[in-house]
Amino acid sequence: MRKNCVSFLGLVLGLAVIALAAVWSPVWGQVAGKVAARPSIADFQQLMAAVVTADWQGSGQFFIMMQRVFSPLFMGVLVLMLVLFAVHYLLVGSKSFAHDGEKVFYYSVLCRLVHALAAASFTVLVISGLLIIFGKVFHGGELVRTARFFHAPAAVVFVPVSLVLFLLWVRDMLPAAYDLDWLLVFGGYLSRKKITVPAGKFNPGQKSWFWLAVAGGLVMAYTGYCLFSFSGDLPALRLAAVIHNLLGVVLLVMFMIHLYMALFAIKGSLQSMLTGYKSAEEVAQMHSEYWRRIS
Amino acid sequence: MARMKFLCDVERCIDCNGCVVACKEGNQVPVGINRRKVVTINAGQPGEKSISVSCMHCADAPCIAVCPVDAIYQREDGIVLVNKEVCIGCGYCFMACPFGAPQFPKGNVFGARGAMDKCTYCAGGPVETFSDQERRLYGQNRIAEGKVPLCAAMCATKALMAGDGDVIADIYRQRVFERGSGANAWGWNKAYDKK
Repeated sequence: MRKNCVSFLGLVLGLAVIALAAVWSPVWGQVAGKVAARPSIADFQQLMAAVVTADWQGSGQFFIMMQRVFSPLFMGVLVLMLVLFAVHYLLVGSKSFAHDGEKVFYYSVLCRLVHALAAASFTVLVISGLLIIFGKVFHGGELVRTARFFHAPAAVVFVPVSLVLFLLWVRDMLPAAYDLDWLLVFGGYLSRKKITVPAGKFNPGQKSWFWLAVAGGLVMAYTGYCLFSFSGDLPALRLAAVIHNLLGVVLLVMFMIHLYMALFAIKGSLQSMLTGYKSAEEVAQMHSEYWRRIS
Repeated sequence: MARMKFLCDVERCIDCNGCVVACKEGNQVPVGINRRKVVTINAGQPGEKSISVSCMHCADAPCIAVCPVDAIYQREDGIVLVNKEVCIGCGYCFMACPFGAPQFPKGNVFGARGAMDKCTYCAGGPVETFSDQERRLYGQNRIAEGKVPLCAAMCATKALMAGDGDVIADIYRQRVFERGSGANAWGWNKAYDKK
């Protein structure tokens, strides 16, 4: 049953990526090649305009309108997230667990290594991407150009690494019934009290980040490849740029949440990613279903 | 202030590509970069028409609107230019342009695109006028010499006109008035045996 679920999910995912690519490469706009019996200069000019400017009034104007939205959107999102984190840290604060008690082995060496590689390449992607978005602030030139030159190679590292990460963790990241119960209490993240929450090896927060980063990362990689190599026709290129930027906002938000949770909200997370061990108290409380299974 | 414009008279263009060659040669444009191109429809058939297209130096330039590093700017006289030292080669200007004017050299780090190049209206760039650096980066600066761009200067039939927008619009209007339009233009009934 489990194996069927996994392979079915993999198939759906793969098909979704392919379908996305196929559906979003339309040829917008047709070019008329005929003239009327007694054409005027206006007819010829229109014909020429149709050939020369292609689909500019469709996808071109759409792209221009969207491009103007991106950097204010990113700025707004960055500021909003930082404010939310500050408010959360003041009102709810962090959760810490006993470090000197019993420990549970959580992450194998391979997992930690692959995660570290994915994290490093993803960080380069985010930082270089933001430098490009806010290029005006840095006055373009050498700095932003270098950022752009690193953006694509970092993606070349991230994609295979994230696929390995996917294969390592996909079984533990599948949705479960008790995930709904976790969501109802929002994992206990909104209360100062330490309550026992139902979660498997990974909670729904981690699961959503996992799926978003892998699937979203693949879409980013595909659209990013289109943008880098200028492949495909112009309407497809414009759409790729819009998708790349908008999905980038979503990924940035989840990435910031991930960093906040791992570095500030749950003390000891970084340690567990370095040593591979979590404190037993943390596992019993934060991943109670998993604790029940292993103890 | 007079606004500089291009106007290619579709009735007069004979697809000789003289404008393309003049621009390439005079500005020493590298292989693979085409600042100006001639687009022909219905080639070889009655009703064949050609138009010479380059950067049109739009009044409300889309390329300026989308550039993430503000590398593209517009002069007082309407000429749109790029600052190659600021440009990061992202290609958004190409995606925004209705005419496909921005061109990119290849062969940078990891095969990335270099800084954008396009028709400068033979007006050089943001560096010192008539300097060696200007010539290497942007090509000739004929506007500063008081001359029209190479393409319009070269045009054998004076199909391609460049200069003050009002002046060339007037010339074009005069032409249309005197010759008739489209297939009614003088000589067409003989050339294509129309009744």
